Amino acid sequence: MRKSLFVVCLLSVLAYAGCGKSDDPFKDFGPAAGGNGGGGAAPVVTNATVKGKIVFEGTAPMPKKIATSSDPGCMNNDLYAEDTVVSDGGLENVIIYLSGGDITGKSFPVSKEVKTLDQHGCHYVPHALTIQVGQPLKIVNSDNTAHNIHAWAMVNAPFNESQSSKGVETIKMFDKEEVLLPVKCDVHNWMNAFIGVFKHPFSTVSGKGGAYELKLPAGTYEITAEHEKLGSQKAMITVAADGSVDQNFTFKAQ
Amino acid sequence: MSRNVHVAGSLHEEGENIGLHRFALFTACSTAFLIFVGGLVTSNQAGLSVPDWPTSYGWNMFTFPYSKWVGGIFYEHGHRLVASFVGFLTVILASWTWLRESRLWLRVLSLIALFSVITQGILGGLTVKYLLPTSISMTHACLAQTFFCMTIALAFFTSPTWKHGLPRVQDTHQGIALTTLCALTTGCVYLQLLLGAWMRHTQSGLAIPDFPLAFGRVIPDFKDYHVAIHFAHRFGAILVVATIVWTFTRLWREHRQNKLLLRPAIAMLVLVCAQLTFGALTIWTEKSPIITTAHVATGALILGTSFLLTLRAFSMVARETEWQ
Repeated sequence: MRKSLFVVCLLSVLAYAGCGKSDDPFKDFGPAAGGNGGGGAAPVVTNATVKGKIVFEGTAPMPKKIATSSDPGCMNNDLYAEDTVVSDGGLENVIIYLSGGDITGKSFPVSKEVKTLDQHGCHYVPHALTIQVGQPLKIVNSDNTAHNIHAWAMVNAPFNESQSSKGVETIKMFDKEEVLLPVKCDVHNWMNAFIGVFKHPFSTVSGKGGAYELKLPAGTYEITAEHEKLGSQKAMITVAADGSVDQNFTFKAQ
Repeated sequence: MSRNVHVAGSLHEEGENIGLHRFALFTACSTAFLIFVGGLVTSNQAGLSVPDWPTSYGWNMFTFPYSKWVGGIFYEHGHRLVASFVGFLTVILASWTWLRESRLWLRVLSLIALFSVITQGILGGLTVKYLLPTSISMTHACLAQTFFCMTIALAFFTSPTWKHGLPRVQDTHQGIALTTLCALTTGCVYLQLLLGAWMRHTQSGLAIPDFPLAFGRVIPDFKDYHVAIHFAHRFGAILVVATIVWTFTRLWREHRQNKLLLRPAIAMLVLVCAQLTFGALTIWTEKSPIITTAHVATGALILGTSFLLTLRAFSMVARETEWQ
């Protein structure tokens, strides 16, 4: 059943890619049938930018050191909890995405880029990532120990699979939007990651200093910043073609 | 006419089958240990650390290399092995009882225990296959307690004490019968364990983060069902303590000289004090795995003790009207 689903998803991706006009999925998305833009897939160019900083207000919590002694295969003496990572006053691992506005009712081609979730040093790299519905996600075990990949999906089908040794890879796809979708390893109960699954490609994750940048078409949008622990915030933005908008979000310490 | 024989250094009457009793006792103790190990699995959030069943990472359960028992696998795989051991003991116990026991109802009870342990194993597998659905996980947790009581019953009914005939005790109290009180206490403890399992398997253990108050109040706002389940468990604890104290007081006042009744009542009282402490510590340590597991195991011991007291009460105590 799982293999059949995988083959169907893969064929769908390939079929779509075969019908596409360009290798760059961001260049050729248009309004959905019956959408506001009328008939025809008018090319949309991602020539606008929204960028900013996820500001962390208050005293940043001391990074909590994780004891990995329960598994000699981990051997990572420099592992800290990643639930609230603050650097230069900015909050990392916040998922930022378009949640409304001019993208409503439109459909977008699925990116063919394979995203990777690596289990390295007994933690997930990256801790947070975004992906499109139908986009392949490669889950890799780079450790000399066993991991299990347990997706606690509420909207998509949850799964729990083993990766018993180094080098094992699993490809997964999600068929519905879901934010946030937690992934955890039950062998090492400190290991968790969060995935944002979207129908559109306009999402990113804040990095060092809480900085983020998102390329998108000109328009008016609702933009959401969501953190695994500190909740979510929304804002409305309007960005012109070849223009750039700064939009900061502030999360307060709990 | 019976004759005395030496068995393991003790004098016993032939036909008592002391070996069967001791084996049943060993099975009951192993089951208590299994509940402790099961508690470790939940407390360490390791229930799905071995994603396949009945195999373990593709290996036969019994040949899975020890070197791979790391992290959560140690708890989950260990639980499977201890469970298999208890299942094996139950097969022997049921076979032994069926072959050597003359009492049909006891033979049937041993078969029910065997059926329960098989069902329990399948439920354990289903929790893995279906990613810990609350209903199956709760049933698994409650059947564990029920099975534990069955092993206690088997040990009790095969004991020389029971076979020789327990001393008869007259219940002269005008209020609730002692047997009813003991059964009520056991029922309360069982329901409390059910609530505890519900709380554990819905991740409601820290839904109220403070103790003894709840969000700084006596009765919290029930903003979601996690808080309601958690609070119900706290309220249940009050009822359990009340019934245990009531039972103990009654036995202390009226049957103090009867050690068979008083000892389990004292044990219950001590255990429930320990249990309250573990419950508070579970909150204060934010669910430290060892404390949480101790809370689960002590709960099982309270149930077992209360159930044994109830069996003894029903076997020994008679109302004034029945006495004549």
